[in-house]
Amino acid sequence: MADNYEYILETEHVSKKFGSLEVLKDINLKVKKGEVICIIGPSGAGKSTYLRSLNQLEKITSGKIFIKGDLFLHREKNKTVERIGKEHQQKLLLNMGMCFQRFNLFPHKTVIENVMISPIHVKKINKKTARDEAIALLESVGLAEKADQYPNRLSGGQQQRVAIARALAMKPEIMLFDEPTSALDPELVGEVLKVMQNLAKEGMTMLCVTHEMGFAREVADRVLFMADGIIAEEGTPQQIFNNPQNPRTQNFLKSILNA
Amino acid sequence: MNTLKKITDIKNWKKSTKINAAIFVLVLIAVVILAAVKPSEEMMIGRASPEMQKLIEKDAQSTRKYVTVTYNNMIIINFCSFSSSGANEMTERFVGFAGKVYSADKGKAKVVGQMVNYTYRMLGCGENVMHGAKLTILLTTLTIIIGVVLGIFLALGKISKKKLINKFCGGYIFFFRGTPLLIQLFVIYFSIPGIFGFAWRDLFSAGDTEAVYKGAFIAALIAFSLNSGAYCAEIVRAAIQSIDRGQYEAAKALGMNYPQTMSLIIIPQSIRRMIPPVCNEFIMVLKDASLVFAISLVDITTVSKNIMTSEGSYLVFVPALIIYLIITMFFTFIFNKIENRFSVYE
Amino acid sequence: MRKLKKLMAAALIFTMGAAVITGCGSQKEDKDKKNNNTETTIDISDVKLVNDGVLTVGAEMSYPPFEDIAEDGTTPVGFDVDIATEVADRLGLEVKFINTAWDGIFAAIDKNYDCVCSAVTITPQRKEEMIFSTPYIKNYQSVVVLKDSDLEISSFNDLEGKTIAVQKETTSDILMSDYKSTGTINVEIVANEKIPNCFTQLENKEIDAVVCDSSVADSFLNRNKDKYRLEFQDDSEAEEFAIAIGMENQALQTAINEALEDMEEEGVIKEIFDHWFVTEE
Repeated sequence: MADNYEYILETEHVSKKFGSLEVLKDINLKVKKGEVICIIGPSGAGKSTYLRSLNQLEKITSGKIFIKGDLFLHREKNKTVERIGKEHQQKLLLNMGMCFQRFNLFPHKTVIENVMISPIHVKKINKKTARDEAIALLESVGLAEKADQYPNRLSGGQQQRVAIARALAMKPEIMLFDEPTSALDPELVGEVLKVMQNLAKEGMTMLCVTHEMGFAREVADRVLFMADGIIAEEGTPQQIFNNPQNPRTQNFLKSILNA
Repeated sequence: MNTLKKITDIKNWKKSTKINAAIFVLVLIAVVILAAVKPSEEMMIGRASPEMQKLIEKDAQSTRKYVTVTYNNMIIINFCSFSSSGANEMTERFVGFAGKVYSADKGKAKVVGQMVNYTYRMLGCGENVMHGAKLTILLTTLTIIIGVVLGIFLALGKISKKKLINKFCGGYIFFFRGTPLLIQLFVIYFSIPGIFGFAWRDLFSAGDTEAVYKGAFIAALIAFSLNSGAYCAEIVRAAIQSIDRGQYEAAKALGMNYPQTMSLIIIPQSIRRMIPPVCNEFIMVLKDASLVFAISLVDITTVSKNIMTSEGSYLVFVPALIIYLIITMFFTFIFNKIENRFSVYE
Repeated sequence: MRKLKKLMAAALIFTMGAAVITGCGSQKEDKDKKNNNTETTIDISDVKLVNDGVLTVGAEMSYPPFEDIAEDGTTPVGFDVDIATEVADRLGLEVKFINTAWDGIFAAIDKNYDCVCSAVTITPQRKEEMIFSTPYIKNYQSVVVLKDSDLEISSFNDLEGKTIAVQKETTSDILMSDYKSTGTINVEIVANEKIPNCFTQLENKEIDAVVCDSSVADSFLNRNKDKYRLEFQDDSEAEEFAIAIGMENQALQTAINEALEDMEEEGVIKEIFDHWFVTEE
């Protein structure tokens, strides 16, 4: 894969319909390598749907997605127009790692097995290497001593950190976070955000759907405000939080900050 | 290796384990002693009355036999009986225990003798494999193993998005669940060989006198497995569909393809949820095994029914119940083991 | 440690089970004493058999005194068994019985066994599906009541308004159901799987009478003289038991008929009948 791309992730005219309901309306976005983007907005705005359609957990109705300048997906009117080789597509897909609101760890595998499973079975890395890498990753999220526990024995915050380590084990260049702290008790939010912050510092490209305005303000390079399936406003955290232009953004921020 | 060490490390056994072990050893010693001193076969056979002896001698000369000599050896206890047939039947029964032979024509000894005899017959001792408890256990175990494997594939087929596979598996399940097992057994045993011009016994060499039973067993196994596969498919499907969607999404996000997702993530998690209904299915099959009498195979239920008919003794159902309970107990234990194995993470 | 306990329980059950199965090794009496007294005179060279040199006979072995399993759990005994054994002997064949359920018993002729000798009544319907040997016993429909019953029955019509028990799918069942469905006799019929259940019901006074074959009735009466009495026997319509043979196997039919004829002439059938149905006082 060529490295001479301008944007690591690009979406063009991405739309999605559930029947007559338009969830995403013609979304265009260009993300540079190392950029941290936070997506905020009221519920039902299509934030999660957009994020999940990037790695095909949701099928888009139409639009194009490019990863590292390579066409990853092109659909029009619910049909894939350009057939992209399955292997190539898979390769591009593996550039993205994802963390879920509900962690979705594999409960029947220990923490370290959760981290190792994909490198071993998908990337066909040998067990020894995978194990060493997994331990290093768990150390980086501060959970090396929990390696042989089952996920159900961990707190929500710890589980989410394992989930991050699991996603990182595939060495992605883009990390997608789908409300990673929404399901956590308030006192556990901090530990997860800290891991994410570190990740951002190391130069990871991140797309993050979040309700943590503090985090967005501090870490994000760019904030997108989504409402009714469109990006209603975008800009730097300062622009969005201190001087929102769109009345909807103003209303949304007002309601959040007053709550 | 670790478990072996744990077991051999007697000093660190729990107290209750030690007591159990001691009881076990004592029982074993008692059994060995009792088995050693029990009366021999010759001793028992020798007890026949002179009249009976005469009849037995007469039998040796003729084609038709009039006396049936029964000798049942049940580890610690012996049962022996002589019965002449016909309208003027004569029966002499003996029970051998702890070095002595007791007449078992009436009273408690009679009940003991009957129990030994009935148990012996139900276990299918001194018979080929396709008989009594041996048949029941073999048929049920194999059926469940094949049924579950078949069920997993059928369930995957039924939830598959490929129309043809989906339709086929759906139809299969509908067909086998929608028709009685006995009829399926008849179709497989009688109709199919009729249509295709072969016989089940042809699977075995012509000189094999047990070929009929072996052939019937194969046919029964096929019918039972195909049927059980349909029921297991629904169990497996329900278990698979009870797994959270998030598990599929996580697997997909990690780049796993469908077979990997199923075999590494979904099926291992659903096994634990399958066990209780599969255990039920096992017990259903255990009971249904008596249907195979329709194709000349004799299971526990059939043996006990036959004994009931010919001797009119309702006592026969006591050993039958006990044998069934022991079988169910053993297999429930195994199912629990599997369930525990797959639920360590809970 | 609970694990260990369970393990031990399993081991105990398992070893006991294994010991039972191995411990009671085969102790079958030697049934293969071949008897060569009778010279074979019947030609069976063109008879096709399921197993060479063996006459394989299907029967439902729970219809005493016609067929039953002896106490050893393996030896077939009964009137039909003796008849079939004698026939096979006269054909120079060994005999082998296959115990099978009455349902589907005829479907396996020529597949699992050469013939069925299991108290099979000759009926017109059956004649379309199979061929029969000459009958070897005649049977009559009988009505059995409790010894102290005050029922008086001189024809089936006297059963009007009564409740009777029959064995399912037997000629008694078919006959009585016919009477009922045509409206000739208004009788309540209880159909049981096994004949002893009918007699238990009679004893418990759940029903008024049992209708069954005369030979079955005879044997039950013989054993329970103080309980039951034979109230009526329909001598007008004899029912004939014969060996059922596959449609294609006329050669076997001829051979069996010859054997039965010889047996009749030599009085062997009567001897067997007396052995099974006539008590010495």
